[in-house]
Amino acid sequence: MMLNFLINPNKFNILADIIFKPLLIIAFIILILGLILVYYSPLDYQQGLTVKIMYIHVPSAWLALLTYAIMTIYSIVGLAFKIPFSFIINKAIAPIGAIFTTLCLLSGSLWGKPMWGTWWVWDARLTSVAILLIIYVIIIFLNQTFESREVKEKTVAIFILIGSINLPIIKFSVDWWNTLHQPASISKLSSPSIDISMLKPLLVMTIAFSLIGLIIAILRIKAEILIRKRDL
Amino acid sequence: MVFLKKIFLFIKRESQIFFSNFVDLCSNILFFFLSIFVFVFALGADEQLLRTVGLGIIWSLLLLSSTLSLRKFYEEDFNNGVITIIHMGGMSYELIVFFKIISHFLFVQIPFLASIPIASVFFNLPIIEVYNLILTFIIGSLILSCLGSISSSMNLLNKTNFSIGSIIVLLFSIPVIIFSVGINNSDSNFNNLINLLIGIALIFLGIAPWSSAAFIRLALRNK
Amino acid sequence: MLLINNLSFYRNNTIIFEDLNLSLNNGQITQIRGKNGSGKTTFLEVILNILEPKNGDIFWEGKNIKKNIFNFFNVTTFIMDQNTSTKKLTVLDNINFWKGLCASKLTNADILLLLETFNLLKYKNTKVMYLSKGEIKKLELLRLILEQKKLWILDEPYNHLDNSSIEILNQTFKDHANKNGIILFASHFNPSINNLEIIDFH
Repeated sequence: MMLNFLINPNKFNILADIIFKPLLIIAFIILILGLILVYYSPLDYQQGLTVKIMYIHVPSAWLALLTYAIMTIYSIVGLAFKIPFSFIINKAIAPIGAIFTTLCLLSGSLWGKPMWGTWWVWDARLTSVAILLIIYVIIIFLNQTFESREVKEKTVAIFILIGSINLPIIKFSVDWWNTLHQPASISKLSSPSIDISMLKPLLVMTIAFSLIGLIIAILRIKAEILIRKRDL
Repeated sequence: MVFLKKIFLFIKRESQIFFSNFVDLCSNILFFFLSIFVFVFALGADEQLLRTVGLGIIWSLLLLSSTLSLRKFYEEDFNNGVITIIHMGGMSYELIVFFKIISHFLFVQIPFLASIPIASVFFNLPIIEVYNLILTFIIGSLILSCLGSISSSMNLLNKTNFSIGSIIVLLFSIPVIIFSVGINNSDSNFNNLINLLIGIALIFLGIAPWSSAAFIRLALRNK
Repeated sequence: MLLINNLSFYRNNTIIFEDLNLSLNNGQITQIRGKNGSGKTTFLEVILNILEPKNGDIFWEGKNIKKNIFNFFNVTTFIMDQNTSTKKLTVLDNINFWKGLCASKLTNADILLLLETFNLLKYKNTKVMYLSKGEIKKLELLRLILEQKKLWILDEPYNHLDNSSIEILNQTFKDHANKNGIILFASHFNPSINNLEIIDFH
């Protein structure tokens, strides 16, 4: 099977060793490229310079959701097929998701002050993302709480599953409720409501962010595998 | 027949434990009233202001004070092993959890009902809101009992981080409080929201026994 | 009779016991002896299906207990190391609860007599939390007679008991064995019982 590295720690280690250094170089190049593109990207006629916060805000929001979705899938796989590697991944990538969510909230707050006039509004999108952050923090806490490993892993996995109700709420909150937060601009890939000159740096930044996240994830997963091997 | 008698005995035992613990419940209610007083002192005694925020304050304080006693849901029965003995007496863990939730609802949450009218007097709430509050609290407290069962069975082996159980209960009671308070908005449909709340309660009555029983088994295996 | 076949149990990949074969016949008293932490309690919990064995089967009267666990529980009394009596209830409340749980046919007069033999009659309306440790243990052991089951499984029954209570307990064991009952207990105490089968755990 080609995709064995997704569920087998040894295969994952082998693959990670091969791709780690190229990945580091590619991520660095893309990040530099993205920053250059952001620097030369056009200013918004309403928002001026502050529109450039978007190039941090949107990728980190997407990655926060993506991380949680990955954890949800791995929780289902881990509970249903009893694959221990999925619990390793759950534990390793939860802090990464928390960091991305924090980044998203902070940049959004900085963006909101000049645009909306406040740091924070009780808007459906903002509130549901804040709850996502709380869920991430609870997951991290639960990972530190129990002595018995089996209890810890299963509890965290079940909690992730229950918490995944929040994902569709975040995604559709701008459609379901009348909110201050603007609706998704890039949901329809065929005809995005964003100009191509802004879309290009945004996509490059998203790729750069995901590669950085992947690099940290690989490091954390490898460390977690080592810890688990020591405990056995 | 023997089975019904076992269930009756179980609920009778719960009620006996509850009445021997009556002071504990009374202190929860006292906590509820005292926190209302603290809120009023903090906000100032502006009658119009209190009337607008009253419902929200009462609901959130009810939530907080009923999470105070949630840690004891299974802890004692689990630590002294009664839960195994009851299981060996012919009740599955799912059934034990279900009747535990029912008896928690009957003996811990329902007494809070008596305090709601008194609390709403402090805020001069209109009578229709008090009526709505009582109705939503009956359904909402059943959901709270289910959540308490889930979170306390989750934390049976947790000997360090005690507040995480209350955090989880508060987190998942957010939808309950949104719908319960939203029922008083003039533009929302009363029947729809009540049906929604009943639906959530039924879903949780289905989920809670299953997940709590799984957590209890997990805890017994790793004790 | 209880038949244990090739039973193995691992905890976190360390062996607690492996390939254990045991048969308990009617009228037999068996003691499991071993150091602290040698897996005595674990073994009892595996028999009662609280813990899952890695492999191996347990048969009661020729039937695998996994498939009809409640039939097995129906003939078993399990006395734990902890005291299962509820501290906030009185002695009689506890007894009535246990009695209803196992649908025991003992009458109230029988129970009062039983309390008399264990020297607990004067406490019958006292809450359990005011009793001493030995008295709570005796109350716990009352369940043996109350439940009228065939198979008795006990974990450390001799803890906290004084000499006269130990005598009564030994006598109870002998009576039960004479009535074709089966007794399995884990303890590091050496009781004076004839025909005691001993299994050593290390």
